[in-house]
Amino acid sequence: MKLELQKGSRSRILAVLVLGVMAVFVVRLFYLQVIQHGYYSNLADNEQIKRLTIPAKRGLIYALDGDKPPVQLVMNETIYTVFADPQTTKDDSKIVDVIRRIAGGNARADLSGLLARKDSRYQILATKITRTQADKIKQEGLRGIGFQQESQRVYPEGSLAAQTLGFVDFSGNGRYGVEGKLNDRLLGRDGLLQSVTDVSDVPLTIGNRNINKPAVDGENIVLSIDRNVQSYVDQALAAGLKRTGATNGSVMVMDPQSGKIMAMANFPTYKPAEFNKVEDGEVFNNGTISKPYEPGSVIKTLTVATGIDKGVITPQSTYVNTDLITIGGEQIRNATKGQTGTITIQHALNWSLNTGMVTVAQRLGDGTSINRSARDIMYDYFYNKFGLGQFSGIELSGEASGIVWSPEALEGNAVRYSNMSFGQGMDLTMVQVCSAFSSIVNGGKYYKPTVLAGVVDTSGTYKPRLTQPLRTTISPSTSAQVKEMTRTARAMVNQGIDRPGYVIGGKTGTSEVPDKNGGYLENETVGTYLGYGGEDAPAYVIMIQVSGKNVLLQGGRDAMPIFADISNWMIDYLKLQPKG
Amino acid sequence: MATGGRSQPGETVVRRHRPDYYIVLFMGLLMLCGLVIIYAIGPQRANVLNNSYGSNYSDSYFFFKQAISLMLSLVAFGVMSTVSYLWVVKNGSKLLLFGFAACTVLAIAGWANLGIAQESLGATRWFNLGPLGSLQPAEILKFGVLVFVAGFLGAKMKQGRVNEVEGTLLPIVVITGLSILFIIGIQKDLGTGIALTSIIATMLLVAGVSKKIGLIIFTSALVVGVGFIMTAPHRIDRITTYLKGDASSTADAGSYHVEHAKIAIGTGGLFGVGVGNSVQATGYLPEAINDSVFAIMGETFGFVGLMTILGLFVALLMRLLKVMDHLIDPRLKLLVAGVFGWFGAHVILNVASMIGIFPLTGITLPLLSFGGTSMIFIAAALGLAFQLSRYTIHPSRLKEATYEDSSSRRRVGRSRHTSRRSS
Repeated sequence: MKLELQKGSRSRILAVLVLGVMAVFVVRLFYLQVIQHGYYSNLADNEQIKRLTIPAKRGLIYALDGDKPPVQLVMNETIYTVFADPQTTKDDSKIVDVIRRIAGGNARADLSGLLARKDSRYQILATKITRTQADKIKQEGLRGIGFQQESQRVYPEGSLAAQTLGFVDFSGNGRYGVEGKLNDRLLGRDGLLQSVTDVSDVPLTIGNRNINKPAVDGENIVLSIDRNVQSYVDQALAAGLKRTGATNGSVMVMDPQSGKIMAMANFPTYKPAEFNKVEDGEVFNNGTISKPYEPGSVIKTLTVATGIDKGVITPQSTYVNTDLITIGGEQIRNATKGQTGTITIQHALNWSLNTGMVTVAQRLGDGTSINRSARDIMYDYFYNKFGLGQFSGIELSGEASGIVWSPEALEGNAVRYSNMSFGQGMDLTMVQVCSAFSSIVNGGKYYKPTVLAGVVDTSGTYKPRLTQPLRTTISPSTSAQVKEMTRTARAMVNQGIDRPGYVIGGKTGTSEVPDKNGGYLENETVGTYLGYGGEDAPAYVIMIQVSGKNVLLQGGRDAMPIFADISNWMIDYLKLQPKG
Repeated sequence: MATGGRSQPGETVVRRHRPDYYIVLFMGLLMLCGLVIIYAIGPQRANVLNNSYGSNYSDSYFFFKQAISLMLSLVAFGVMSTVSYLWVVKNGSKLLLFGFAACTVLAIAGWANLGIAQESLGATRWFNLGPLGSLQPAEILKFGVLVFVAGFLGAKMKQGRVNEVEGTLLPIVVITGLSILFIIGIQKDLGTGIALTSIIATMLLVAGVSKKIGLIIFTSALVVGVGFIMTAPHRIDRITTYLKGDASSTADAGSYHVEHAKIAIGTGGLFGVGVGNSVQATGYLPEAINDSVFAIMGETFGFVGLMTILGLFVALLMRLLKVMDHLIDPRLKLLVAGVFGWFGAHVILNVASMIGIFPLTGITLPLLSFGGTSMIFIAAALGLAFQLSRYTIHPSRLKEATYEDSSSRRRVGRSRHTSRRSS
């Protein structure tokens, strides 16, 4: 455009002025819009985009209920926190009245005091009120009152299977039990609602930055725990402890044909709903998986099984018992004295003679010493096949591995292996021993112990899962012989205690408790009983452990009656048919 | 050459000819841009107001209101381009008096709390005319000052008495001072005050005040301006924000407005987010529809869009300069100079404060901002300039227009090249 401004006129000054300013504008705009575009877009996003998390529902936990459909053991409940903005509340005395009347004990103490703090904008008036209560408060139409929604776990069965379940802490994470171990599966995945909003947070339909990702709820898990078995076992354990003066006890009931655990009881226990009121955190631990101990004589069944399976003994093989045997300079004695002379292995098991087990271990080697080859065989059976001293992989958090010393190690010497043959010198958990014993009585099939029976899908249908044996431990013939030996052993000692017509066998164990100096405590022993029951094929394996500080407890006297109690009840519950 | 009697300087006879239609073109394009942006953000604006004040504006409310303002502006433009400029110049003093009177009435009404005076943000700037909308008397005053000073100073220019202190400069200082007293002192409208000062300053510049007097005027204007800033806390805030530059943040209440304007502009990038996609207009950026419309345009149309708009503004301003330069009658020359100063001051101040290179001043972006009075009067001023573009003369004839100042300048600086076209 030709302006034809006159030279030297002041209109040229004005033109230069305007063009100069415009040049500055252009540079500045280029800087803001092109060079700093990313920076300002970022500022805009921070301000304009609001994100809302859609919480995923935590998966429910079910328990089996006999032949009936699974029942809910852990549910979710929506609870509300009532809060006030004291700067906008009107009629404070009415608010106090309404909250007191409807929230009751969930209301905080000094409501009018909280509302009087007019400098504050957030005061919690009541916590953990139900939806019904919240609705009632909402109907009052109070000004300046708000509600926060939260989800909390509820336990319709109280403390049932507390250690198996675990709990959910205040930050929403599972702790202990299945809640802890399967936290990721139970959690699900939170959804995200992202939206560009106007200045009052009203979502806009502008641009492509809006996201609507629905939440994926957590999996609903069905435990293999049967609520009826668990409930009875809880009672039986509590009663047994009362009878014996023990303070602590753990019981495990397993289906030897699948590895599924029907009950896991621990005493003392707690209520998961009130986990925050627990004073001694020890009650959170599941004694059946997290407390390795020297199980004692119950292991003799494993030693005998190893000997028979390797063909070095039969139940009727004999040895000369002098109540004393010396290994590597260490003298090993029997707890029960007087069964001296030439006796059978069956006899040694009946009377729980340590010398008999050491003899079996010797025969795994050259017959006179527990040499390297004997120890290798024992280690192969105990560790590799029976799975002792290693994590079972059960779906519960806090499992301990325990330890079985390998012959490779300096500690894996003959003295240790002689002790191991009767259940000392190694630390094992109940779940390891139970799973190993199950394979001994079920024909030699080792199932991984599990507490999962299946899932309930989104449509509410129970989908059971099948378990497969992990490996073979012993031959079916060995299994049949050891099963019969334990039946004989039990029948000899405990006449008339079991329901007639069923195949029930077991082994006691009384373990010494190691002290700090490498010896054993004089005044404390742990009583254990490990047995099975059923028709021809065992339908259950039960392991009992009772203990107490400075209490001498015996497997036969203190643990066995609890086994008998549960075993007899199981026969009825499982509707087992007696042999004619 | 068809020159008439040259017995009196400046009496060159100029034949009425085709006006400069570029003025209409650029003005029309700018108005259309404004209408588009108001159409795009009107619904959001209505939504924000409805949410925060419980009002009940419809989505198209702002669009229609802007369309009506545009109609009225076009009418004003049309009227001022047809009513004889001679009549307008002759009645300059009456217009000025009317402007002062309107401001006085507003001041009294505001002081007496009459309903007709509309108060907002602690200042009374508008007459509330009920359903007819509102009227800003400062705009009338601006127009009055424009016409009166052009006539007054133009006459002095003809007589070569521009630099006389008593006869020329003193009256102008008095008028300026009085206007400033009303606009900045009473109505607390610094932006409009600066615009009015710019009108007068441009006319003085074009009228040919000496450098010495110009420097004195510039210095005293600066001193007065600083005085006004120091006496108002919100203006000091704006200066502090300005001095922080790009380091200011939205969290600081004082820099909220500027920072959001920059966010809007920066978000636009090269090509903008597109019509209807502005998020800053949904309540983040204050005055999105009025004073901040440039920032919203930056967000919507991007760098390329803003370049186009600035280009239109520059083109329009240059057309005004061309018209001004080719007018013989000093009164008319100054009239267009005043329009240039008016329009230019609005554009520069608005844009500069939106992009953070000048402290925030509440001033409209001519022809684009939503708002009736301002646009109608600017259009009227442009209409006047458009009418005057009929009376320009060809540059080759300018040398023949003889009056003291220019002839003396010609003697000094120009010799053979006067007839060469400058571009």
